[in-house]
Amino acid sequence: MAAAAFGQLNLEEPTPVWGSRSVDCFEKLEQIGEGTYGQVYMAKEIKTGEIVALKKIRMDNEREGFPITAIREIKILKKLHHENVIQLREIVTSPGRDRDDQGRPDNNKYKGGIYMVFEYMDHDLTGLADRPGLRFTVPQIKCYMKQLLTGLHYCHVNQVLHRDIKGSNLLIDNEGNLKLADFGLARSYSNDHTGNLTNRVITLWYRPPELLLGATKYGPAIDMWSVGCIFAELLHAKPILPGKNEHEQLNKIFELCGSPDENIWPGVSKMPWYNNFKPARPLKRRVREFFRHFDRHALELLEKMLVLDPSQRISAKDALDAEYFWTDPLPCDPKSLPTYESSHEFQTKKKRQQQRQNEEAAKRQKLQHPQQQHSRLPPLQHSGQSHAAPHWPAGPNHPTNNAPPQVPAGPSHHFYGKPRGPPGPNRYPPSGNQSGGYNQSRGGYSSGSYPQQGRGAPYVAGPRGPSGGAYGVGPPNYTQGGQYGGSGGSGRGQNPMGSSRNQQYGWQQ
Amino acid sequence: MADFQTSTQRAKWIFTPQKLAERYKAANHRAVQMLEKCGTTQVEVNASGSLTYPRDKVDAGDQADKKLKPLSVDEERFMRAFYEAKVQEVCSAFEFPHKIQATALQYFKRFYLQWSVMQHHPKEIMLTCVYAACKIEENHVSAEEIGKGIKQDHHIILKYEMAVLQSLEFDLIVYAPYRAIEGFVSDMEEFLQVRGEEIQKLENLLKAATAEADKVMLTDAPLLFPPGQLALASLRIANGVLGVVDFDRYLENIVSQPNSEHTTSELTKLLGDIESLVKSYKYPSEKDMKHINRKLKSCLGHSSSHDDSKKREKRSKHKSHKSSNDTPNGAPIG
Repeated sequence: MAAAAFGQLNLEEPTPVWGSRSVDCFEKLEQIGEGTYGQVYMAKEIKTGEIVALKKIRMDNEREGFPITAIREIKILKKLHHENVIQLREIVTSPGRDRDDQGRPDNNKYKGGIYMVFEYMDHDLTGLADRPGLRFTVPQIKCYMKQLLTGLHYCHVNQVLHRDIKGSNLLIDNEGNLKLADFGLARSYSNDHTGNLTNRVITLWYRPPELLLGATKYGPAIDMWSVGCIFAELLHAKPILPGKNEHEQLNKIFELCGSPDENIWPGVSKMPWYNNFKPARPLKRRVREFFRHFDRHALELLEKMLVLDPSQRISAKDALDAEYFWTDPLPCDPKSLPTYESSHEFQTKKKRQQQRQNEEAAKRQKLQHPQQQHSRLPPLQHSGQSHAAPHWPAGPNHPTNNAPPQVPAGPSHHFYGKPRGPPGPNRYPPSGNQSGGYNQSRGGYSSGSYPQQGRGAPYVAGPRGPSGGAYGVGPPNYTQGGQYGGSGGSGRGQNPMGSSRNQQYGWQQ
Repeated sequence: MADFQTSTQRAKWIFTPQKLAERYKAANHRAVQMLEKCGTTQVEVNASGSLTYPRDKVDAGDQADKKLKPLSVDEERFMRAFYEAKVQEVCSAFEFPHKIQATALQYFKRFYLQWSVMQHHPKEIMLTCVYAACKIEENHVSAEEIGKGIKQDHHIILKYEMAVLQSLEFDLIVYAPYRAIEGFVSDMEEFLQVRGEEIQKLENLLKAATAEADKVMLTDAPLLFPPGQLALASLRIANGVLGVVDFDRYLENIVSQPNSEHTTSELTKLLGDIESLVKSYKYPSEKDMKHINRKLKSCLGHSSSHDDSKKREKRSKHKSHKSSNDTPNGAPIG
């Protein structure tokens, strides 16, 4: 226990060599995210210069002391050791205030901070996918999906449900490794467990139908639904089920996957909220129709993931055996993937907000921009098929495996390939951008210092430049549609519990 | 697979007997030094959850005539034994599963590797360990409920929680012998090809071994041996009474497994060691406790926390709190 953590150490004896170090061992560099119960910072360990991520555990308003969610996360992360699961390095503390503002000793609340220290990861999948001009290749998507499933399989084998699988919780480093993170909603389960788990888990867009219908007994299949959503999102280049509330979410699911009945999902009519939510008329399953532009094996796998009945949904293990991962083009080696400048959803979202504000200002000044449209780009097809969906920006769509992927042509994207900011009056000064500022001090973490391997360069819109400029003026077309919570609200698809969930739901299982 | 083999318990919390004795001695030594220097051993847990160590004596003249006697290592052991039994009492009163009881006991044992009972009163730590164990084992009981159930102020539990979690170094997953006992019994069923009446006998063995494991958990054995060996020892003790299986033959079968780490004689010796720990286990007499409590009281007595705790007593709704504060014998349980 560090003296600083526990205060006034009044003895000359050496500090015991156990307990937690102080957070003062780290220098906070910038905020990179908002975890399910606290902020996440990028920080540097002062002694070693190593870059880490610090996740603060919010301790206020806890009637039951140390939050159960944090306990679960610590417990689970200390148990899991896998290359596709984020590694908890240690827990550090910061001393608390002993008195409240009036100088009275405050009641039994721990005012100090507790931080979990993680290995630093450069990106999260959503942040990465939202990079303008960036398109994943098919081998790249296979590589990420394979890692996601491998990590998740490991969790499930060890009887851990993640319960919040979504892009921003899948971290990716500059060596192409993908790791599951944010186990703040995770919990252990046992097969013989009689259930009574809370159904208020998983971010809405990735929440499976059984939870939306009120199931309190569930298993690993809930995570596999989320994986299906992410898989389709990677191929489709945008979220596939962006519901605004639980009712709409279910409707969207039924419109895509058909409405459930006792034939395809035995027992569904006995689900707690089935009668409240069942559609007025039966709907046909249209997954194949919606995603007809996907290649055959991708579609086949997706069909097995987006199965309404959880007992028939494919497991992580079986998904890893799917043809998709064993046919050309094969998943690439993570190390062969390009490196990108750091991007987390938290940051890209902030940037987009800035852009919107700037754009509105520009409008007010009657300065007409060329209409910018940027949505995520569909993957590059390496297998020779090229049935791009009609609404996708037309670009050259027939690269081969080794050809550098191309930044899509066409007027709407022309400047994404340029290293510096867009034309227009409202430029962001390089110093004002989040990810650019620390490049020098980050050494190995800055994308510029990585050797460009293979098809590295063309992926990056200005690999060395401050990324703020390269993000363009035009807001992504689905950003304004309210799906992101309008003006940067609580994030993608309404986090199930929000910041107050510890009090409300903390003790539910 | 994440299991005991990859656990923090195996890596950090199982010691050699020598090392364990050293840890106890060192914890005692730190408290003794503190007493000499500061005239008290009480480390105060502040409202914030942080700790305040006592200050150096200033009014030495005033206290010079009072020679404070610290607890010895053996007296500390008695004190812990007394409260470890209380952990089991509290857990049975709440009808918690064995697993929670075992987890709470492990926490309690680990906490007092870092501290002396002279620094943190074991009554409070005992309650906090039970509370923390419930939380970790997903068995919801609020602090208030625990406090009410045993007529104690639940604020104390919450106050100590951070100190306990930190002292445990946040190593929260604990492996207990109970599941291993179940595993061995169902393995025996297969190995011995039992059927009919004999199945009932095995069930009796399971029950008896579980009770034996409760006793094993009160010794130092959980800090010295892995849970699987604790389980086998419990089974062997129980089988010694019931005579259900040919235990030596069963042990040979275990040892013949390809991944076995021990020879039969090694394993037999280890189980014997555990058994003798159970046999030599000593629970303090009332007289012992009276004496130790008096000493402990004087070690804690000059603490600055005295006023603070009085204030709390006034605020506390539970009238019994005061009388039970320093006399563990009178602590109402259940």
